Amino acid sequence: MAFLARALRQSNSRLSSCPSVAASCRWISRTAAAGSPEAGAAVAPADPELPPPREPVGGARVELPPNPEDALEVFVDGHAVRIPKGFTVLQACEVAGVDIPRFCYHSRLSIAGNCRMCLVEVEKSPKPVASCAMPALPGMKIKTNTPVAKKAREGVMEFLLMNHPLDCPICDQGGECDLQDQSMAFGADRGRFTEMKRSVVDKNLGPLVKTVMTRCIQCTRCVRFATEVAGVQDLGMLGRGSGEEIGTYVEKLMTSELSGNVIDICPVGALTSKPFAFKARNWELKGTETIDVTDAVGSNIRVDSRGPEVMRIVPRLNEDINEEWISDKTRFCYDGLKRQRLNDPMIRGPDGRFKAVTWRDALAVVAEVLHQVKPEEITGVAGKLSDAESMMALKDFVNRMGSDKVLCEGNGPNPPADLRSNYLMNTSIAGLEKADVFLLVGTQPRVEAAMVNARIRKTVKATQAKVGYIGPPADFNYDHEHLGTGPQTLVEITEGRHPFCSVLQSAKNPVIIAGAGLFEREDQDALFSMIETVAKRFNVTRPDWNGLNVLLLHAAQAAALDLGLVANPAESIKSAKFLYLMGADDISLDKLPDDAFVVYQGHHGDKAVYRANVILPSSAFSEKEGTYENTEGCTQWTIPAVPTVGDARDDWKIIRALSEVAGALLPYDSLSAVRDRISTVAPNLVHVDEREPSTISVEVKPPVKQKVSSTPFKTVVENFYMTDAITRASKIMAQCSATLLKK
Amino acid sequence: MAWRASLSRSLKEIRVLFCQSSPASAAAREFVKKNYGDIKARNPSLPFLVRECSGVQPQLWARYDMGVERCVNLDGLTEAQIDKKLEELAKAGESLKTK
Repeated sequence: MAFLARALRQSNSRLSSCPSVAASCRWISRTAAAGSPEAGAAVAPADPELPPPREPVGGARVELPPNPEDALEVFVDGHAVRIPKGFTVLQACEVAGVDIPRFCYHSRLSIAGNCRMCLVEVEKSPKPVASCAMPALPGMKIKTNTPVAKKAREGVMEFLLMNHPLDCPICDQGGECDLQDQSMAFGADRGRFTEMKRSVVDKNLGPLVKTVMTRCIQCTRCVRFATEVAGVQDLGMLGRGSGEEIGTYVEKLMTSELSGNVIDICPVGALTSKPFAFKARNWELKGTETIDVTDAVGSNIRVDSRGPEVMRIVPRLNEDINEEWISDKTRFCYDGLKRQRLNDPMIRGPDGRFKAVTWRDALAVVAEVLHQVKPEEITGVAGKLSDAESMMALKDFVNRMGSDKVLCEGNGPNPPADLRSNYLMNTSIAGLEKADVFLLVGTQPRVEAAMVNARIRKTVKATQAKVGYIGPPADFNYDHEHLGTGPQTLVEITEGRHPFCSVLQSAKNPVIIAGAGLFEREDQDALFSMIETVAKRFNVTRPDWNGLNVLLLHAAQAAALDLGLVANPAESIKSAKFLYLMGADDISLDKLPDDAFVVYQGHHGDKAVYRANVILPSSAFSEKEGTYENTEGCTQWTIPAVPTVGDARDDWKIIRALSEVAGALLPYDSLSAVRDRISTVAPNLVHVDEREPSTISVEVKPPVKQKVSSTPFKTVVENFYMTDAITRASKIMAQCSATLLKK
Repeated sequence: MAWRASLSRSLKEIRVLFCQSSPASAAAREFVKKNYGDIKARNPSLPFLVRECSGVQPQLWARYDMGVERCVNLDGLTEAQIDKKLEELAKAGESLKTK
């Protein structure tokens, strides 16, 4: 019952306000114990005579309504439980502590009821009922452990195994297969089927999902996931009876950014991970709970490793941020962590070639050059994947060397770092579900933050929320209205001349989402001032609702703004004679003087190493403890899953050592000391797993004199699969770019 | 109020930390609401970082050249006293620069 312990621990860490307690709650588990919540359904009570426990099963989501008339009482195996109206029999049993086996039911998808594995006996009903599809009625007496129910499940299992291939030894789902677990618990001990088993042709879904459709039990979870969550109509059921097949109707790849999640929800081994095929068994893997850094959402992930190698990445439950899904970029970029890695300090020689040196020599060279330049000629740039500790150390070091030029790539020429509500998703990701109108300004959530896009789509599907979009033509997976391509449309909305104004006017909880790509515009101040005017006009911000949001692009962006990395990139680089790049690979170095000395500190040999004079290797996010803040302002910690490659070190430790050699010693020697320092700059960054709301609104800002340019908004993410150094090093992401971006 | 126009020359960064709801931070919250616009209008490029976090003692931090920082605890101070403290920090920056 590891998932039960994890669910309780997650709620505990949310109640705790002490970050050290949250840290001690982290754990490393063998993944055999950390199976999916559905796999736990196979655990039948050991003693049928013993009354089942009254606690709800792990993962059961129940919230009793305040009005007593909206609740009802049912009896499960003789025990009375109170549930909200509208609950199904299966949900009632979960509240009563009884795990009902199922294949087709998934708590986040619609109800299909076609696997018949959840049959239970209900008093006064002549036949067993499918509990996932039967609403619970007042006074209903449910029996889950009777001979009739057992016989029914045994029969269903026999039918399912009739055509199921006996290839468990070569199946990648072995060890975490719901069919295996439930056949052990509910199946018969011998088969009676002696005829020929059915076989099905495999389908080609792309470079990520491997299909062995002979194993498919036609539960339709993948069809419902693709239609309801991913928003693509790629999968469906063909044929009927014994000819049923799940497929794409015609030869077609699954083109969703969330397609990898069908691997998790498939209860058998029909859909598995193609890159992970035949690489490892789940009982060989060590699971480490950590945070994703490929975008600004901060999805909760579990990194499965074997020895020093990351074998795969799977999602971890977090209701507020990513629910239980992750994007394909998050899931499949792990092979980038093994390629193009920097493992030794290097100095470029007079002939232009790099030579490996010791840390002492490298730091001595850097410190020597530091003292040859003027303080104002020093510039520090943090990259997209930097953690808060490293950025704090970089800022302190450059400041102590006498320079103010510290910045983070992607935050533009004039970052709005003063007030937190200027750069965070103030509604919160989960709060987007309460919205009824979305106005997207210069942002394409589908490629910028796939998990936020899934929330918007969920809201659009559930409540028919309206979506208006201002930006270049883009591919959305929900109904939207394309209002225009540039700020002129925003001017019309501000002045009330646009037809979309009536939609915004009648909205109860309107949401405006501005993209972080707008930070890069020169007229950023005027543009955000105009967005704030729209928000004021249509009551988007008020005491009980804050619908004004910024959707950030990178994992480091929110923490960089919190810490005050606000220098102008163009001016800082033009005047730099000493440039310190900490994982900054996408900043433009065209204006850099030819005689500038460049230090590159990072974990991958990406674009910026070609200009570097000294290379200092550092750890990737899967190899270090670091603080990251996501686009809604939730602080989260990464946990090291694998050891560091070669002679690389943590980012902040390198800067700390450099400060000692350079004579501007930083006063912290441990991670807790760095975090204490961070608490004097942005104390919200030490409140882990919490969001700190902002009460100072944008109305305290002075008026903006700048004029808005008429330049249209640009597409910020051209290639969803290649956005940072890790994804660019990944062969899997290269395959996805080649095959899935053909449109 | 003339000293406010020269804040950019004596200070590199101003940081105000306070709690969103506690009474100890009420004066700091009011100070930021009433004075942020004026200070920012006179010093558009000076970082004035306002960081809210539950349970935090109200503090005013100033950063000078070479990373030197000073902190003033704002607990128990009125808005006028906070304004006075900010002026003192700015004057301290002037004296630091002459050394």
